[in-house]
Amino acid sequence: MVLESPLAPSPVTVGMGPRWWFRSYLMMMRFDVRGLGQWLMIGVVIQILMGAGMGIMYGFYLGDVPAVVKTFLATGVPALALIPIGFVMVPNMVGQQRVAHTYDFLWSLPVPRLAAAASTFTVFTLFALPGVATGLGVGVWYYGVELDVSWMVVPAVLLTSLMTTSVGFGMAHGIKNPVVINFITNMIVFFVTLFSPIVVPIAQFPAWLASIHRALPFYHMAVVIRDGLSTGLVADVGRSYLVLGLWTVAGWVATAWVVGRRG
Amino acid sequence: MTSGGATVGGLAVKTGVAHWLHGYLMMTRWELGSLRMLLPLIVAVQVVIGGGFALGIGLFFDQIPERNALFLSTGVAVVTLITVGLVLGPQLVGNQKSAGTYDFMWSLPVPRTTQAAAWTTVNSVIALPGMVAALLIAQWRYELPLQFSFSLIPAVLLTIVTATMIGYAFAHAIPKPMITQLITQLLIFFILGFAPINFPPENLPAWLANVNMWLPFHHMAVVIRDGLTDGLVGDVGRSYLVLGLYTAGSVALAALVIGRRD
Repeated sequence: MVLESPLAPSPVTVGMGPRWWFRSYLMMMRFDVRGLGQWLMIGVVIQILMGAGMGIMYGFYLGDVPAVVKTFLATGVPALALIPIGFVMVPNMVGQQRVAHTYDFLWSLPVPRLAAAASTFTVFTLFALPGVATGLGVGVWYYGVELDVSWMVVPAVLLTSLMTTSVGFGMAHGIKNPVVINFITNMIVFFVTLFSPIVVPIAQFPAWLASIHRALPFYHMAVVIRDGLSTGLVADVGRSYLVLGLWTVAGWVATAWVVGRRG
Repeated sequence: MTSGGATVGGLAVKTGVAHWLHGYLMMTRWELGSLRMLLPLIVAVQVVIGGGFALGIGLFFDQIPERNALFLSTGVAVVTLITVGLVLGPQLVGNQKSAGTYDFMWSLPVPRTTQAAAWTTVNSVIALPGMVAALLIAQWRYELPLQFSFSLIPAVLLTIVTATMIGYAFAHAIPKPMITQLITQLLIFFILGFAPINFPPENLPAWLANVNMWLPFHHMAVVIRDGLTDGLVGDVGRSYLVLGLYTAGSVALAALVIGRRD
């Protein structure tokens, strides 16, 4: 039994190094999955239903269309299915944490804050994938579309998911009022499903709306994923990757600014 | 003061048409008053949803054919009515449950049917401006040959009452507001996507079009289109019949749910 001097540093060790970081990351993932609990299963089922449903319902609106329009539609659905995860579920989860008063507790956990953020990204990306895959599969089957899948689809989906989660994370940490967050996420869904060139070509849009979409992330999400799934439908993919990268960094900066502060 | 009533435990329980009407007016004032701050916002959101559909769906087409534009413009009118009844209504009841005013409302000394009637009136007050705005926006955007007829009035009333009562029954029967919200949102998603409201029925596979013949939503669209256009739809009688049955059924269901004493 060693007696401690009252001036000695507290016995809690602050770990460092990659191994400790990785351990924290795994523990935070377990924590996040448990925290979502039963919502995780319900959420995955809803994701799958909505992904599959969206792929087909746009076709009902369009009616009988040429093959190229069908291909465009089917390759737009994965981007559409990724949007609710990052832009709706992540910000609302953080909003719920604020309401339930677990928000401050989470930040007080002795793990690197980056490990916590990385865990959220991983959990929600895995969460999104069943819906993305089902939406694509159902669209391909229903429209009889032939895809030309290249390995580029992997970075495209990962970057897209990282971008939505990062922006959603930054928004959730930057805006304190959960009601405001809820309002914004609903507006995003409305805007994205009705006014975004994701399942249809941007050339159909009025010039002013098209230029807004060249600055926003939604159109570019569809471009990079479509590029990985087909040939000859999109051009200037590099620019889309750049815009998505910038939005990701913006999400991080917003998060870092809020998270890095010690209130 | 015992005119036309029974006495239960010293409290006079009134009955009669005059009492019912009085209760209905009071409850309508009550519901409108409790939404006072929110009402302009809710109406504005309804206008945005209706107008948004009218404009947004048009962007899916390179050149929208007139037939599609007609279906879309008349469909958005139906969408605004259905979303109020099926989504907004249950959420407002859910808010009452969360805020703890729900049980208080039931304890008010008015017949419960007046509350349901007042609720339907309030939903109409919210839904109608959205519907008119959506039609005006669609008309401005697509310049369509709309032709109003008086049959629009019963068509709109049947649609509002049916949608409101279905949402009302859900909201009252399910104790958890979260679950109600989840169900109503999934419902509206599938109604908008898989019922021929904003698009012609021939766009659906035959089996799905047949399923819709047995559900109320397609028929809501048919009777409203009949009141707004000339010759776009046929066999309106059948639609009125099916919708009428659904209206009666949803009112009975709502009566069953609110008649319970637990």
